[in-house]
Formats: sequence, C-alpha cells, structure tokens
Amino acid sequence: MTDTVLFLLVDGLTNGLVYALLALSLVLVFTVTRVVNIAQGEYVMLGALTLADLLQGRMPGTLYLLIGGLVLCAVLDAGRWRRDWRRASLYTGGLIVAGVAALAVTRGALALQLPVIGMMAVALLLVAPLGALIYRFTVHPIPNASTIVFVIISVGVSMSVQGLGLLIWGANPYPVDPIAAGGVMMGPVFIPYQSFAILITALLAMGGLYLFSEFTLIGKALQASAMNRLGAQFCGIPVNLTGALAFLLAAAFSAVSGMLLAPLITANYEMGFMVGLKGFVGGAMGGLIDYPLSLLGVMIVGGLESTSAYVASAYRDVLVFSLLIPILLWRNTRARAEAR
Amino acid sequence: MTKLLEIANLTVGYGEAIAIDDISFSVARGEFVTFIGPNGAGKTTLLNSLMGVLQQTSGTVTFGGEDLKALKPEARVARGIVIVPERRELFPGLSVEDHLRLGAFLRRHEGRAKMAAALERIYALLPKLKERRKQLAGTLSGGEQQMVAVGRALMAEPQLLMLDEPSTGLAPRITEEIFEAIDRLKATGMTGIIVEQNAHLALSVADRGFVLEVGNVVASGGAESLRQDPRVLAAYLGAGDRYREAMTGTETIPRAEEEG
Repeated sequence: MTDTVLFLLVDGLTNGLVYALLALSLVLVFTVTRVVNIAQGEYVMLGALTLADLLQGRMPGTLYLLIGGLVLCAVLDAGRWRRDWRRASLYTGGLIVAGVAALAVTRGALALQLPVIGMMAVALLLVAPLGALIYRFTVHPIPNASTIVFVIISVGVSMSVQGLGLLIWGANPYPVDPIAAGGVMMGPVFIPYQSFAILITALLAMGGLYLFSEFTLIGKALQASAMNRLGAQFCGIPVNLTGALAFLLAAAFSAVSGMLLAPLITANYEMGFMVGLKGFVGGAMGGLIDYPLSLLGVMIVGGLESTSAYVASAYRDVLVFSLLIPILLWRNTRARAEAR
Repeated sequence: MTKLLEIANLTVGYGEAIAIDDISFSVARGEFVTFIGPNGAGKTTLLNSLMGVLQQTSGTVTFGGEDLKALKPEARVARGIVIVPERRELFPGLSVEDHLRLGAFLRRHEGRAKMAAALERIYALLPKLKERRKQLAGTLSGGEQQMVAVGRALMAEPQLLMLDEPSTGLAPRITEEIFEAIDRLKATGMTGIIVEQNAHLALSVADRGFVLEVGNVVASGGAESLRQDPRVLAAYLGAGDRYREAMTGTETIPRAEEEG
C-alpha cells in the first residue's frame, strides 16, 4: 500500500511539473497580452516532434515552419520600407539572418549528432521563435480585441498548427529518447532518471523566469506590461514587443515541457491539446494570473491524474477535467468575497 | 520663440461621439500652457490623443516640425512627449525605483552612470521618493503615487511634459508640494501642458491658458488675464448661473483664438 502511494506521489509530481511549465506559459501570456491561449499545448507537440526528428537524424519540419513564418513576417511588414528604409532593411536583414542561423545550427547539430541535451537546445531554438511569429500574425494586428476574440483565434491557431503537424509528421507516434535512460531505486520506489531531469529542468525554467523578471530591465518591462498596459505605453515600452516576448518565452517553456514528456508517452501530432488543457486546469486555479496558485493547481492535477489512472484509468481525463468545476466555483466565491 | 508643438484643426472622437472638436493651438519651447474646464470637456482626451493612445479623427499635430500622426506611443515618448496620466497608471507590484528605471526604458542603452545620475536628480526634486525607493507602488499613499508618476515621466527626459489633473484626490498640502516641483521644473526651461479642474492652481504655474468646454476652446489668453475672466471664474467655481450670465452678457470676453 505505501509503495503504491509513494509511486503515485512520484508519478503525480512528475506529471505536475510537466504541466507546471504549461501553466507558467499560460499565466505569462495571459498577464502580458490578455490572451487565454488555447493553442499553448501545440508548442508541446512541436517541441516533442522536433526533438524526435533531431534524435533520429532527420531535418525537422519545424525548420520549414520557422522559415515560412519569417518570410510571411517580412511580407506583412513590407510597409516598413515606405516609412523608414534604414530600419526596414535592418529588420528584414535580421529576419534573414535568423532563418539562415536556424538552418546552419540545425545542420550542424545533425552533423555532430549531439547528445539529447544538445538536441533539446536546438529544438528549443527552432520552436520558441514560432511563438513570437504566431503573436505577430494573430495578436499584433488587433491588440485591443476582447478576450473572447482572442480565445476563438487561439482555437483557430491550435487547429491550424495541429493540421500542419499532421501534414509534416503524419499520424504515426514517434519514440523520443529520454535525457538519461534507466533510473534508481529509492526505498521501495523506482524513480526513472527522466523524472529527475523533469524536476531539474522545471526548477531551472521557473528560477530563470524569476531571475529574468526581477533582475533585468526588460523583465521589469514585461511585468509592467502585465500590471498596467497603458502605464507601460506611457513609459515608452513597446507593448507589441513585450507581447511577442511573452509568447516566445511561453513557447519555449511549453516546448521544453513537450521534450521532457515525450519519452514517457511517445510524441504525436495531437498530443499537445490534452497537455495544454491540463495545464489550463491547473492555471485556472490561479485565475491565469497567480503563479504560485497555478503551481499548486497543476500539482493537484498531476496527483489526481496519476491516482485516477491507477484507480479508474478509463475515467482519468474525465476526472481531471471535472476538477475545473470546483476550481471555477472556488475562484468565483473568492472573487465575490474580494469584491465586497 | 520657436514652436515646439503645433496643433491645427485637431478633432478626436470615440466612434460617433466627438470629444475634441476642431481645436488649434501651439506651444513654444519653454512655455507652460494649461487647459482648464469641467469634467468631460475633453481635456484628458486631448492629452491621450497627443500621446498616441487615441487616434485623431482629423487635423494635424506637429512636434518639432514632425507630423505625429503615424507614431505609436512609444515613438512619441522617444521624441520626448511624456505624460503624467490622470489615473497615474502605476505598476502596483513594482517598487518606486523600478518605476523610475522603467521611465527611462528608452534610454536604457545610455549606461549605468547616466541612469544613476538621472535617479539622483529625481530624488533631489522629490526627496520623498528616495525614502520610499524600495516600497511597492501599490502600498503608497495617493500623494506619493502622484510623485512616482511625475518622477517616472521625468526619467524619460521630456521635451514636452503633459500633466493630467495632478491635483486630483490629493490633500492641499500634497498638491502644493507637487506644484512646487512643477514650478521648479518650469524654472529649468521645461515645456509643458497642464490640464486641471483646479483652474486657480493651473493658472498659477502656466503662462497661457485655454478654457475647454465640450470639446471646444471657449476662451484663451495669458494666465493673468484668464484669472479675471468671468467664464473661468464660473468654470472652476462651478457657478453655472454666473456662467450663463457671462455667456449671454454683452461685455467683451476674449474669444478663443490662435495666438503666439
């Protein structure tokens, strides 16, 4: 009995940490841009499948997505040439350099057959900018749209990215190597090394975000845009840039989460949506604005998921998503109490 | 004197409703002008449109010879147009010093030494901010928050400082402190637009004034002459009857006009 409980606890904690990266992404995006990003889970899929390609020595399809996105970006911002050709040439040059650099880094990594950690870094480099590009295509043109419009848009983004995923990778699942195979017996429980990797990576990501937000001016600007968009504009903070930055960082966190998760469940084109929703349930606990509460939320989600998988595996997802109802009721009473 | 800001036939609206109706004025370098008038006259709308957070419907706004129309707020801040907004628009979870540093966000590449010197200048002008430098803005009193808003704006090294209702919700003693700071800024040659409901205060620091009512300039002139104007007396004393008398009265009142 104790063995089972301990096992479930470790399993739940591992799941929770994976969802924590998702919840972190969702809170970051929502506070800075007011977008409830249903598409956040797609970066999980992109991260996992990109890593799968890289580890098997294939050119990842993500590279073509990235280059296509950069080209589209250059086309959409063609109007810059009329306003200020110097800055426009700098900007377009930057896009070209980014594309060429991504191609070079990917080829180099494939030629060198980097270890898993190295390939993860390369995959991150390919997926994270997609976040900023998607911001440019969807949110940037209508910064003051209502929350519900953004939700609908993000559903559309989610479907489109999934479609592209299906087009590039097909419907087959891909195995992904863990950072380190094997594991260790701790007392009665076997803990895979991958669980440690997940713990360390999640802590590094959260710590990194904290240090960035607290100790750099750009990080403060990101916080400022989240706390008061108008005030940030009055400081001369370009809110479109902080929005794009939030999307980029969130894409990075979610991609990492996918790369850590994939070895446990294999990667496929539709894995992201479920993971994204589970991160969302956790994030809902913090109202998508409160980091610590969201972390608590995802830990509960992770724990409930592993317990229900053990007790009633057919109802696992039903139980996890049912959690949203008490969470929303609790948020509602809390909001009412605060309003008084 | 050289004109810093020139506004010709500016109209600003929210959808169908027109909030600023075809107004023209200019501000010379080193000059402080004020817009006074009742709530809803369009004062805040005017400043927000100059800041670029509200689109102008028609007319032209020229700053230092450049048409501002296509410029986003951050580009306007970069050119030295900076606002102390009516609702202060602070970041409740950030410290006083963070606000000041963010005020200089666009000057972040100028180096630590310059940033430190700029901070010291603000602390010299508003000593209370130095005491509170580590405190979160959300925990400050109204007056201190107003000082943070002023300090944050000054960190951008404005060419044109716009103050929107700096006295709102403040105790008279605090208001006095804020206006003393504004006076000192003016003495350093700062150009400014100050919008106030408290016309007496506003006219005490400004060189020239405009009376704004439902989006129209109904009177303008030197600060001293406006102080004697029955319209102005009516507007800031809220004496509606006397105002109506003045409107229908036969005595000559300086009409709104474009002046130097």
